[in-house]
Amino acid sequence: MSTDTSATRIRDLSDDDFRSAYDCDRFTASVVVNRLKYAVEHMSTAFLREAFSPIIRDWYDFACTISGPPEQDHRMAVVSNSLTVFLGTMADACRIAVEEFGADNLSPGDVLICNDPYRGGRHVNDVLFVRPVFVDGRIVSFVNMCAHQLDMGGTVPGGFSATKRSVYENGLVIPPMLLWSGDEPVRSTFSLVFDNSRFGGLLLPDFMSTLHQLQLGERLVRENIERYGLQAYLGALDYSCDTSAELMREAIARVPDGDYRGHATIDADGLDDTLDYTVRVTLRKRGHEIEADLSGTSAQARTCINSGVTDAKTALGVALTMLLDPEIPFTSGTWRHVDLVAPPGTVVTAMPPEGAPMMFWETSGALIAAIFRALNPVLGENAVGGDYGSTNTHNASGVRADGTPWTSATQCGGEHGPWGATKEGDGDSYTVLFNLNNLDPATETIEHDSPVVVLRKEHATDTGGAGAHRGGAANLKDTLWLTDAEQYLSPFRTKDPSGVGANGGAAGPNGAMWIFPPRDGELPDALVGTADDVYTASTPVAGVLDPRTKALDAENGVYHYFASEKCWRTTAGSVLRCLTNGGGGWGDPFERDVQKVLADVRDEYVSVEGAARDYGVVVLGDPHRDPEGLRFDEEATARLRARPRGGTPS
Amino acid sequence: MSSDTRSDTRDGTDPADRPLFLEREPVDGSCPRCGAADLRRYPVNSEGGWFDVVKCQACLHSVRREPGPRLGPIQLLSDLL
Repeated sequence: MSTDTSATRIRDLSDDDFRSAYDCDRFTASVVVNRLKYAVEHMSTAFLREAFSPIIRDWYDFACTISGPPEQDHRMAVVSNSLTVFLGTMADACRIAVEEFGADNLSPGDVLICNDPYRGGRHVNDVLFVRPVFVDGRIVSFVNMCAHQLDMGGTVPGGFSATKRSVYENGLVIPPMLLWSGDEPVRSTFSLVFDNSRFGGLLLPDFMSTLHQLQLGERLVRENIERYGLQAYLGALDYSCDTSAELMREAIARVPDGDYRGHATIDADGLDDTLDYTVRVTLRKRGHEIEADLSGTSAQARTCINSGVTDAKTALGVALTMLLDPEIPFTSGTWRHVDLVAPPGTVVTAMPPEGAPMMFWETSGALIAAIFRALNPVLGENAVGGDYGSTNTHNASGVRADGTPWTSATQCGGEHGPWGATKEGDGDSYTVLFNLNNLDPATETIEHDSPVVVLRKEHATDTGGAGAHRGGAANLKDTLWLTDAEQYLSPFRTKDPSGVGANGGAAGPNGAMWIFPPRDGELPDALVGTADDVYTASTPVAGVLDPRTKALDAENGVYHYFASEKCWRTTAGSVLRCLTNGGGGWGDPFERDVQKVLADVRDEYVSVEGAARDYGVVVLGDPHRDPEGLRFDEEATARLRARPRGGTPS
Repeated sequence: MSSDTRSDTRDGTDPADRPLFLEREPVDGSCPRCGAADLRRYPVNSEGGWFDVVKCQACLHSVRREPGPRLGPIQLLSDLL
């Protein structure tokens, strides 16, 4: 392990040196940064309250940041508690938008927008809004928002699809341009968006709310400048970024020097299943620096599952933060001691016009998994289990009996699922991907908005990667569709475990998707069971399944391609089942506290059989009929745990 | 449920894999930090965006580090205006 002692740590600076570096004392710097964190959270709260769009209201699909002026290289100093795929990209996207438009062309009251994935990452639905803050005629800061717009044109309503083959099919691309000029709307820009969006009427009030939140953010920034002075304010922005950089530098230094390789696989694109895609990373760690080389990664996909280099860079920052020090504030400084080496034209560094990015978080998420796979073996107890890997995004539409159309978007697939375990404890079992950070739409909202009944939303048994700390359980979701429907399903990570194990823990098993057609055209009168024998009656959508029983079979099964039907047409009474991947386990499963295994059997995270097989714990009793009467056989457990086991945990 | 023991054995030789690599141009000289005679020039993306760097391949020291094109390998037709 190497250490670097050439730089003085911020906390070791004398008061005079601190003031010389940041134009304020250390307490003022901390107070200003915390007040700015309040500002972005205040903006977020207000936007969430005012939003009309369900993707904002129910998913929290937006983020707010504050960045410095051009002379501070636009460094992103403060971020809201929201999507990392937005926050990470906004560090560069704001700078790129302002530089291209020209900072000298901006005036007080302007709002600059841009949604081009090649300029700033993400996909075209995620519109960036940048508002300069002026003091005495010069730009001193920017307040920024990025928010998902429900539709930005293109060939697929809403945009969520793996089938689009170029930027020309993907949706409207907006270069940096003014949406408001001096707080007056720029009609031509509004028309550009609304003339290309299917849901302009829904976007308009959310655009107005965005302006209000940017004005609020500007006001709060000004209040800080008036209270503490401009130089102290700018110093605090520097201090915030320097703190991140220093903490990341020290975290990197704690990793042994070496070259570490990892990979993750994406099942297929939206064209056919003749190609899978591999994201590869080689992490070269020397001293307090890391170079992440994506060489060896597959060329960009033929359809829009790609991500841009800014998304890859974000994934790198997320993975290193989670693995090396989750306490590091997420700012531009996160990447100061990290270099991304990115061959152009890969599935995570896509190039226009054919390398269209839409389902970008799926591929950038694969890079996170690859980094986990690369570093976990050398992190020991600090290793972290992987997550469920894919949002398994679901979209459906149809017509109600009264003739009114309905749509359901990103609610009834496997959008939420588990995280992996850590040295601190078991993995969470129902959350969002590492590179997201969203709310979960309420079941009542889902059932109100579409003719669907959510029958199950539960933790699936024996799906958390086994470990001294268990990975989060996969989510099993059954939805009953009350009208005929056209369903689009996008699970991307069913071949290769995304929930990688950590510190000797097992990987979480992979999931799948099935459709259960109605029997005799009738609505079902009972829940679909969860035993393997129920799947013979299903139409498999995705996953590695036994071709005869259609149940999961990771060892000998056959991959079923999610787009073998471009659109899955279902009749009223059909049940869609989505099972996510499981989270990775941490530590040797045979060292798991027996009482925790017993509690898992009682709570049906683990079956009686799974307790013996995966944990070496012999449980006696019936968890269904007498859960409180469960006990374990001490002698049989000791014998089982003493037996040699096949395979060596990673 | 199996242990996660898979190593990274795929080598990119599968034609369906179509891997891409970034070339690193050799540069004469040795590293002022570690002395290794293995300097290479290539683009990287870090805090602040793209940089054209000359780095030591042994210790990763940046011998030269200059801001690169704003969008890296992507060129805008409007830049010709």
